[in-house]
Amino acid sequence: MQPAAKADAGPARSSRPSSRQRWDTTDLSLVAVFAALIAALAILPGIPVGPLGVPITLQTLGVMLAGVVLGPGRGTAAVLLYLVAGLIGLPVFSGFSGGFGVLAGPSAGYLLAFPLAALVAGSLAVVVMRRAQRFRTALLFLACLAASLTTVHPLGIAGLVVNAGLPLRDAILVDAAYLPGDVLKNLLAAVLAVSVHRAFPRLLARRRADA
Amino acid sequence: MRGYGSTLGLYQSGSGVLYRVPLWLKAVVSLACAVVVIAWRSPATSALALVLTLGALTVGAHRSPARVLQMLLPALPVLGILAVYQGVTQGWQQAAAVVGGIAACLLAARAVTLTTPLQDLLDGVAHLARPFRRVGADPERFALALSIMLRSIPYLAGLFVDVRDAARARGLERSPRIVVTPLVVGAVAYAHRTGEALAARGLGDDDATDDPPVRRAPDGD
Repeated sequence: MQPAAKADAGPARSSRPSSRQRWDTTDLSLVAVFAALIAALAILPGIPVGPLGVPITLQTLGVMLAGVVLGPGRGTAAVLLYLVAGLIGLPVFSGFSGGFGVLAGPSAGYLLAFPLAALVAGSLAVVVMRRAQRFRTALLFLACLAASLTTVHPLGIAGLVVNAGLPLRDAILVDAAYLPGDVLKNLLAAVLAVSVHRAFPRLLARRRADA
Repeated sequence: MRGYGSTLGLYQSGSGVLYRVPLWLKAVVSLACAVVVIAWRSPATSALALVLTLGALTVGAHRSPARVLQMLLPALPVLGILAVYQGVTQGWQQAAAVVGGIAACLLAARAVTLTTPLQDLLDGVAHLARPFRRVGADPERFALALSIMLRSIPYLAGLFVDVRDAARARGLERSPRIVVTPLVVGAVAYAHRTGEALAARGLGDDDATDDPPVRRAPDGD
């Protein structure tokens, strides 16, 4: 968790004089609560899609939200925390599964791509929220879309090839079944992120006014 | 969903060798199962892994084979579809290898959570994070984050049910934006409240002096 913290020290806070900045308790609980949010969204009943039945859930929505709401450092940490909780056996992955067993399952590639997706989406979101005053929803949507196209789908396809033993062409076809839902979820994530940033304007602020 | 918190406690007390085996050994074996099944994919490997995990659960945890197979029930739809697809396209041997391997890994992981109390599991993970202290990690804060996460899941699930009910009362339950927005805003507000509560108790802060009692911090559940 903390290596990511160090990488993100800049946007998180700069009020403390120490050279190595760390998260305060609010950052810590934001990370933890967003990990829980991903879990809560993941355990809502998913819809098995495609020949392999990899379920479509709001899990990826939670991952994207963590990135664009919390920024790259805390967002990635939240996703990593979620993955660790799932890998040690808590039933927080979709379909109430959990444990190292999922690493052998067909959706392992998607799970491993999630932290990267939050990192990419979060980095782009920071740029959007600081630079852009207009079209924020559209720009955040593009940020999420870029993140899922560069991380989730390539690694997901790789997981299908390795774990489910699919030929590459079939794996791409299976993965394509998730694209429409993914686009919708990215759109939803952008709309939600704009609402959240309106309610909590300091979440991605350059420095904290209080503290 | 409201009752989800109780299902998080996967541990069921019982007797057997598995309850006495140290956690690290169980974790290593469970991880090794996944690695072996992926690395040597063949019907023989999968069958062996399946027999071994079944045997471990029946002998080591005193569960009847029927109970053990019941544990695979939640994964059954995915496994079934995968089996049919593999059988049709790659042949039934390959299907048996893939599906059997995944089932064995799921059972191996379940064996760990079934026989290890949640608290021990969390302690084990915090312990595992200890070597990262050298690169600036903080196992105590990590364990604290993990326990805040676990106690937040039931809260968020309950919040989701409330928000959905409210949306349904207005006839808006089909709109994901209406349903999820209050959930996410509520989650952020909840995180801020939790953060303030932790700070007020001097937990998880940079300036915290040696060894704060992190584990007992958010005693909500």
